[in-house]
Amino acid sequence: MRSLLIRVYPARWRARYGDEFEAILEERALGPFDVADILLGALDARLRLRGRGADLQKGTGFSMSLRVGGTAAIVGAVLFPAGLLISFLDESDDLFPGAGLILAGTAAILVALIGLSSFQARQHPRLIWAAFALPALGTVMSCLGLVGMALVGDDELVAGMSPWSIWMLGLLATIVGSALFALATYHTRALPRVAAGALATGSAVLLFVGLFGSTGIVPGIDIAAPALTFAGLIASSIGWIAMGWTAIRLDQPAAAAAA
Amino acid sequence: MESKVPVFGRFAEPSLLILVSLSDGPKHGYAIMQDVEAGTGRPMGAGTLYAALARLEEQGLIEPMAPVDRRRPYRLTAVGASNLAEQLRGLSEYAQQGLRQLGEPRS
Repeated sequence: MRSLLIRVYPARWRARYGDEFEAILEERALGPFDVADILLGALDARLRLRGRGADLQKGTGFSMSLRVGGTAAIVGAVLFPAGLLISFLDESDDLFPGAGLILAGTAAILVALIGLSSFQARQHPRLIWAAFALPALGTVMSCLGLVGMALVGDDELVAGMSPWSIWMLGLLATIVGSALFALATYHTRALPRVAAGALATGSAVLLFVGLFGSTGIVPGIDIAAPALTFAGLIASSIGWIAMGWTAIRLDQPAAAAAA
Repeated sequence: MESKVPVFGRFAEPSLLILVSLSDGPKHGYAIMQDVEAGTGRPMGAGTLYAALARLEEQGLIEPMAPVDRRRPYRLTAVGASNLAEQLRGLSEYAQQGLRQLGEPRS
């Protein structure tokens, strides 16, 4: 992966900095933030070598990462539960706007995971990569499920699974990814532990309802499922919003100092 | 705040942090990253580091030294040291002004 990342840079840049850059990449574990930072660095190098410059962009890699990640966390925390709520209340067979909002919320959470993972990736690289990979997979599955629902309805789509099942698995993957991210954040104290705890608790409740809500394995779960889902959504949304807000505020002193 | 410091756009802050890191002696890239993270509590990505290093080198504020293994140390030039001092004085005055506006005593 490291050599692949270096190859994204232009040849002239690699000739000058390639060896030392590769040595740096070998020194530490790379998280999603690092990969995004390197890709932006490669874009910058390409623009500079073409004489266009990249100075029109505002914010440093880290500041931009915090700002974008924080904003995406808040947007995702609003869109994801709003979509679920609308889907739950909407008695028609229309996929939109509910499913569309969920998908947009999932994508926003994916961006938030990249943007806010800069601290945690140093100490828990595998956990953070899993926290990124699962929602990434979940987003693809959600898209596939949505398209499938539009095309074949409830019929089997792939491997004996209906589009709805695939969509649901995508949602669960996003929730598991959020829980892993919350766990890493709680351990590193990179962002408020209370917020990480709320996200972890909310995700665990949603996962529990998602896995057992309609199986009848747990007595009374079918009756409690709506209330539990609501509580889980509220807790995880509060967690994401608090972390997003903190990240945006963390960025402010740096922006002021650089002004 | 009038300044003769070259304009680094989005890399102004990382550039300043790198100059500060090099102010106590030459360092290679990874040592700069560790230094910045320890000093600010904020990680600096390798992409940002090298984008800023390239600009600083281009402006003559730092210069590369002979590599040791594959690690290449960088050091401040005289122009770089002068520019860093100018930036820090400007920031210090700005910080003092902010503290006065907040009604806090000067340190």
